[in-house]
Amino acid sequence: MGTDPRTELGSASAALPRTPGQATPRKKRRDWAGLVYQAPSLIVLGCVVLFPLVYSVDLSFRSYSLVIPGRTGQYIGLENYQRMFRDADFGQALLTTLVFIVFAVSLETVLGVAAGMLLDRLRRMKRLVTSILLLPMIIAPLVVGLVFNFALNAQFGYLTWVLHALGLPGGDGALNYGPTALLALILVDVWEWAPFMTLMVAAGLSALPKEPFEAASVDGAGPWQTFRMLTLPMLRPVLAVAILFRATEAIREFDKVYVLTGGGPGSWTTVNDLYQYRVSFAEWDMSYGAALGLVTFAAVLFLAISAFRMLAPKEL
Amino acid sequence: MARKSVLALSAFAAALALAVTGCSSGTTPSAEGEVGPNGWSRKYAGTQLNVIAEATANSGILESLLPDFEAETGIHVSLEQAPYDSLVQKAVLDFTTKKGNYDVLSIPYEYLGSFAENKYIAPIDDYLKTPPVQLGADFSSDDILPNLWEPSSKWKDNLYGMPSNAAMMMMMYRKDLFENPAEAKGFKAKYGYDLAPATTWDQYRDIAEWFTRDAGKEAGGTALAQPLYGVTLAGKRHVSTVLEWMNYSWTFGGDIFDSSGNVAINSPENVASLEYEKGLTAYAPPGFTSATWDEITAQLQQGTAAQSITWGDTAGAMEDTTASKVVGKMGYASIPVKNEGDAPESHLGSWTYTINSSSKNAEAGYEFMAWAMSKPVQMKLAEGGGLPALTSVLTDADLTTKLPYWKQIYTSLTQAKSRPRIPQWSGISDSLALDLSRALSGQASPQEALDASQQKVTELMNGALPVTYQ
Repeated sequence: MGTDPRTELGSASAALPRTPGQATPRKKRRDWAGLVYQAPSLIVLGCVVLFPLVYSVDLSFRSYSLVIPGRTGQYIGLENYQRMFRDADFGQALLTTLVFIVFAVSLETVLGVAAGMLLDRLRRMKRLVTSILLLPMIIAPLVVGLVFNFALNAQFGYLTWVLHALGLPGGDGALNYGPTALLALILVDVWEWAPFMTLMVAAGLSALPKEPFEAASVDGAGPWQTFRMLTLPMLRPVLAVAILFRATEAIREFDKVYVLTGGGPGSWTTVNDLYQYRVSFAEWDMSYGAALGLVTFAAVLFLAISAFRMLAPKEL
Repeated sequence: MARKSVLALSAFAAALALAVTGCSSGTTPSAEGEVGPNGWSRKYAGTQLNVIAEATANSGILESLLPDFEAETGIHVSLEQAPYDSLVQKAVLDFTTKKGNYDVLSIPYEYLGSFAENKYIAPIDDYLKTPPVQLGADFSSDDILPNLWEPSSKWKDNLYGMPSNAAMMMMMYRKDLFENPAEAKGFKAKYGYDLAPATTWDQYRDIAEWFTRDAGKEAGGTALAQPLYGVTLAGKRHVSTVLEWMNYSWTFGGDIFDSSGNVAINSPENVASLEYEKGLTAYAPPGFTSATWDEITAQLQQGTAAQSITWGDTAGAMEDTTASKVVGKMGYASIPVKNEGDAPESHLGSWTYTINSSSKNAEAGYEFMAWAMSKPVQMKLAEGGGLPALTSVLTDADLTTKLPYWKQIYTSLTQAKSRPRIPQWSGISDSLALDLSRALSGQASPQEALDASQQKVTELMNGALPVTYQ
């Protein structure tokens, strides 16, 4: 797969078919033309992506605080990276993020598959249901946070009232206790993103060939067998991409946590991004914040590359 | 281009017109130029001044008075109001870009050391000696309360501004419940002493326990529609939790740094004070782990809690007939102490008008600051439910009889103690906010929580210990 030129990202001419050693002048001109056409977007990308990235890498080897005099950007080598290993708060934040991702994305996947199968069978209401499913996703995450902040308010939130009436945990304010606050965040994320999984699954199902299912039904396979042996394996590529997409998003979870709990109670809901935000913008340690950000970036990049590999056509 | 020159021309014409009318109305021209009717210089007429201040009663009242300032001086002020966190962020980002977008910034005084050492803000000593422009006769820097002014604007050898908000912490309690004969009788029978505003922490806890009641029970002779809680306190991972705890810490004999200037966050006194505060949470409304000073104010206004250690600048809100259910029912007193007879302490939370070092309008900014400190403006702050910083207003006889909290404001200000103002404070505060919130929410024991902060703060202070000036 690595030999496939199409997977070489960042090279503007990589998408063009090209045989080494046979570059005619005409082909050369076409390469240049490609670069020139893409120049504006490359320049913009360079300004908004590359420059901050290079700047962050540089910053992460310095000591730079906006409030402490004397820490004006001296190079301190790997000190910021070493600090991560003894930073218990960072470890806690990573753990919280992991718990958040695993539970939120698994729930979204299970619900998404179930709802996607139902949606696929719908005949008349399909369009309406699809539009409704889009709603949670098109609301800004910050607004999702505010909506649930109101609903889960300990004194007057309507969801608090419902939980209280049903005698469920969280009946006296889900956001005020560590475990219920974390659970609430996960469920709000599920509310927001399970529809995405549903639509992905529904789209994947509608693209599946009909013949294997007809064959299975002729062979007398039950619904569960069909699902396990046929639907799920055939959906696998779609599901894998959807899960990876959600995971890269969930690593960067910030808005809802910021609005709903501020990372509390205690450090129960302090996810990685929120921790970095506090290091950079509450403690004003820009250099350590940059180092933390780069580590997160590396993790997201790893997941993104995995997703790209899955999307790329399989080598024969 | 054309538009710009038209604007400049019309501004010039306006200035000319103002100058001419100023002359004809008979005011005396001074060395710096024209002066308005009350002696305020009009040298900077037409200047646009950008000011940012915390969203509080004071800022709201000040905003409504800005047209007066413009009428006096011709300076147009645009006042931006923001909550604590967001204000500090906007200030720091503006300082580091050196753009001078804000000319005058009202800052919380714990950032004084950082902003002064980084030369983000400019000293005003020279202006105080010789005002850069003529100031009105109703401004006198001698009238600013010294034990408020010093901690909020003096860093090492210089003064950096004037107090914009004389906030400090005090105890608020439901006077109507305390004065109810049935409550008094019941309390005495249970605890063996008279029900009165707490002066010691033991009493504060007893009273908290006494008044914690479910909905449907009676309190002060009326049935409760909502539960009543003995206290309300801040437990969110937020600066308000840190500031409230420091009252318990100080009165228990603790502090952030010991007498030799080393980190003493996990001292036995501090641990005991946090254990005490944790004990109080049994009598606090559910949700205290998400509560900041805002929730405390709302709960007191709704009559949800019987006592609180909270901010003096919210006293006006308690007596605000449009928002409060406890108008005339609140009592205001000094913060309790550990042992009867200890000297009371009050956490100073004042804010300071400072001038941005990168501002191009420093002199106009100083004039604004002086006007905000002038007696008529400060009287209006007081009357509108805000807090002034002038001795004459704080001891004004009329206000003392009219406002139930006025006497206590002055008393608490004389007991005020300030938190460290060193540049590392933001890190210390963030670390404590996390660990105090962990302890209060039961995620860690008080000892574990303070041990964690001790370690983090010691690392943060690396190279800056011992702290000899804070």
